[in-house]
Formats: sequence, C-alpha cells, structure tokens
Amino acid sequence: MSNTIMTSPRTRRVASGLAIVAVLWSVIPLIWMLITAFKPQNAIRTSTPEFLFAPTLVNFQNLFSGGNSVGPFIVNSVIVSVVSTIIAVGLGVVAGYGLCHWKSRGKKDLAFWIISTRMAPIAAVIVPLFVMFRQVGLIDNLLGLIVAYLTFNLPFAIWLMSAFFAEVPPSLQEAAQIDGCNKWQAFRLVVVPTTIPGIIATAVLCLVFAWNDYAFASSFAGPSSQTLPMTAGSLITQTGVDWGQLCALGLITVLPMIVVGLAVRKHLATGLSMGAVTGE
Amino acid sequence: MLPALLVLVLITVLPFIMLIAMSFAKVRLHGGVSLSMNGFGNWSDVLTDPATWHSWGVTLLFFVLAVGMEMIVGTVLALILNSMRRGQSLAFSLVLLPMFLAPITVGLLGNFLLDPTIGLYSWVMESLHLVGAHQSVFGSQTTAMLAVTTLDMWEWAPLVALIVLAGLTSVSPSVLEAASVDGAGYLRTLFSIVIPSILPVLLVALLVRSMDAVRYYDIVHITTGGGPANTTWVISLQLNEKVQATAVDGITTLIGQSAVIGITMLVFTIIIANVFVRVLDRRGLMK
Repeated sequence: MSNTIMTSPRTRRVASGLAIVAVLWSVIPLIWMLITAFKPQNAIRTSTPEFLFAPTLVNFQNLFSGGNSVGPFIVNSVIVSVVSTIIAVGLGVVAGYGLCHWKSRGKKDLAFWIISTRMAPIAAVIVPLFVMFRQVGLIDNLLGLIVAYLTFNLPFAIWLMSAFFAEVPPSLQEAAQIDGCNKWQAFRLVVVPTTIPGIIATAVLCLVFAWNDYAFASSFAGPSSQTLPMTAGSLITQTGVDWGQLCALGLITVLPMIVVGLAVRKHLATGLSMGAVTGE
Repeated sequence: MLPALLVLVLITVLPFIMLIAMSFAKVRLHGGVSLSMNGFGNWSDVLTDPATWHSWGVTLLFFVLAVGMEMIVGTVLALILNSMRRGQSLAFSLVLLPMFLAPITVGLLGNFLLDPTIGLYSWVMESLHLVGAHQSVFGSQTTAMLAVTTLDMWEWAPLVALIVLAGLTSVSPSVLEAASVDGAGYLRTLFSIVIPSILPVLLVALLVRSMDAVRYYDIVHITTGGGPANTTWVISLQLNEKVQATAVDGITTLIGQSAVIGITMLVFTIIIANVFVRVLDRRGLMK
C-alpha cells in the first residue's frame, strides 16, 4: 500500500487529524463499554459521566453467579458456532473446489443459487424453519441452531472457498498429477495446503456470523439452548437494566471475535466481499 | 461436491418449498403441523394491508439512508487510512473493531450511550445543545430513524472502508504521479482518477451492504422496537410480529402471511444478487 494520493505535508497533517477522529469514532463506544464493565453500579447511573472510580469485578461476578449464570450460555454459544463452522468449512472446501472447476454450462445457475442462498433474508428462512423445527422437535435444541446456522454458513463457505481455489494456479495440480498423484491426492496433498490461509479465514468468518446471531437464536432457542446474544437481548427487557452486567457480557461476547477476526485481517476484504475483491 | 450440495438442498430448498406452500395455506401448529389450502388469501391479505406498504416504505428509507451513509463514510475512511504514512496498520485495525460486535450488542450499546439520563453521547449532545435535556433520540419521530441508521453505519462503514481500501491499492501510482505533475489538485485527482478507477469495487461494497440492509433486524428490534409511531417499523419487524402472534395462537393465517412477506423480501434480495453475479461476470471473476 505505497501509493498515496496526497503528498503535501499540509494535506498529510489534515489526514492524520482525520484519522484520529475516525479511530475515536470507532473505539469510543467500545472503550466506554470496557470501562463500564469494571464500574460499580453507583458510578454508572450518574447524569454526568464518571471517569474516576474504584474498578470492580462485581459485574462479572453477577453474570456468573446464581441461577442465571451465563456459564452454560457461553458453552452453548461455543458448541453451536464451532460445530456449524466445522461442518460448513469441511463441506465448503470440497464443494468450493468442485464449483471452481465446474466446466458445464450450469455453473452460472449453480453459483447464482448458492449466493442467493447466502444472502436470503434471515426472516424468509426463519418462518419455514420454525414450522419444520416444531414438527421434528428441534426447537430449543442445539442441533436446531447448528442446522439454522448452516443455512447461511454452508453457502458462504462454498462460495468463498471457490474464490480462494480460483487463485491457485492450475499448473500446480497438473504438476502433482504428472508426478503420479491421482486427482483426489493432488487436491488433498497439494491444492488444499496452499489454501490453508483461505480456509482459516473462511472458518473465522463462519464462526463470527454464527456467534453473533440473534434472530435465529431468539426464534428457535429456549432456556436449554440459550446463546450469548440472546442473553444480552433478554437482559434489557427486564425492569431496570443493569448496564454494568450488560457491558461485561458485551465484552465477553466481542473479545474472542476481535482476537480471531484481526488474526485474519489480511483476508477480511476478500471474505466479506464474497471473494469479489482481493485484499492486500 | 455432491454430499455438500445435497446438504445445501436439504437445508435451503426444502425450507424454500415450505415457504411457498405456507404462503398459500392456513398453517396449524398445535398437535403436529398441518397445512390447509387458502388459495391467494394470504397474498391478498398482505398486499391489501396498509401496514405492509408502510413497513416497506420504512425499509426503503432505511435502505437509502443506511447504505448511502455507509458508502460515503466508508469511502472517506478508506481515503483517510490510505493517505497515512505511519500507523496505518494500527489505525485500520482499530477502525475495523465495530464490525466484530454482535449487532444486538451494537443496539444495546446504542441504548446505553444514548440513554437520556445516563448516556455518554446524550450528555455530550446535551452539552452542545444538540438535543434537549432528558430527550431520548429513539423516542422522537424525527431522530429515531437517524439514530438506528447511524448505529448500523457505525458497525458497517468499516466494512465498506475495508473493501474500498483493497481497491485503492490497485490505483496505478504512475497515473497519480502524472496527475500531480500536471498540477491536478486533490479533489480533481479524486474525482477524475481515483473514483472512476475504484468504481467496480464501490459497486461490490454497495451490493454487499444492500443485501444486508434488507435483512436488518437486531438493532432496530432492541432500540426502538419499530417506534415511535411505527416510524422505524422495518419489514422484518412486520414479519416477526406475525410469527410471534402465531406462536401464541397456534392456528391462524398469520404464519402464511409472514411467509408472503418473506417471499417479497427474498425477491428483493434475488434482484440484488443477480446484479452482483453480473458484475462479477463482467469482471471475469466467474470463468
């Protein structure tokens, strides 16, 4: 990223100033959430913002104590997002490779179907799944949520992996086959290893989508399959919102996503544009 | 490839067929699911209901405001970051952070920061006399829509920046140099060279955000709940209300009506997805 449009020192100073504003705009709400999570109750409910206070872990203790401890909900969130990610990426790698090398005329239709599936409004999927899940007993069931998350993560993984495979030079596979690999071996031993960064990026994005879901969870999950975003949503409807607890919960929910998300930052542009643009 | 496609068929085509069937049926949920034909009843109920058209109007307004702001702010963010010489990587990572929040958390943070009595941003705006004392931005008909779109923009303008930045790196440095030698100013260079050459990338960002904007639900659900006076009652709230009513009621035509709304949303998305695939096609990305 060496090409820049502005060169004069004056415009550069303006740009630095604007960059600080941009960063503040993005991070102030997050910093405020972080601070509030460690504030005692009486420092939160003040009409002018309180900056000096004795940090406390009481909000986290409240979250993990009593009958409404969020401990089991964290476990639920981890199970549904990790399992749906593993299935989506496992199937997505194979099907993405197939889609990438599909030679027949139906390719465009197939590709179009896959991307419309990914982009289908969640609301349009929730209605039939709700009825079907009721019929087969998948309401308030972790398996139901895993299936629900596959409806957007599987087409996403297929589409994105297909884009990553398209960047692998075909000569690589040909060379492997000349060296005596069969098609499957060439795919498994040569092509897949070169796309490991792409596979990891795909997995991270699937994980973030599933982890952050609220609409599916609030429709299909119940007391025994509650996830973290659902817990956050339910805290606010009770009388007298406990902002300290909510901020602590928000922090617990977002931290793992920031860690894994920034770890694949190089591939985020590719991933989040469905492979339509390639990153740095 | 086949097993994966079979799973995809099972989890997407089956619900889709179900959705179509339900849109023409009365659905009974208690004592096992059963469908009885209702002809075009649900369709005429939905299409003649003023509430449907109102919520589509709200959705379109949200769509234009949110996607428009995200495109402009996102592009400006990308230009700012692109012009930084030092600290670009750190600044970029920080700007991206809102994207990783669950949208429901964004809504809750919005409620907290804009709370009329204890909110940090309410306090700032009151100090600057932008809002009256103890006035909730979510409670006023003039500011509620602006507030929910701003929250969405806060989370997703960084995504637009991310995509645009990827496009900016491909703007040819020699062309920029030539422009500068010819004495073109910043704005001139921006509008005659930079923007035209990143148009395809801008279009991709626009389409990706458009498809998401139709799905918009979490933030508006937890902040305004569609109010005040239904000014933020987007289409997914209208659909969800019918599903919730059905869950209590057991048997109604409401679930069929929600299926009709779902189909109209799907059609909207498919049109956008169609444009998306065409764009990729023209750029040779779908060989």
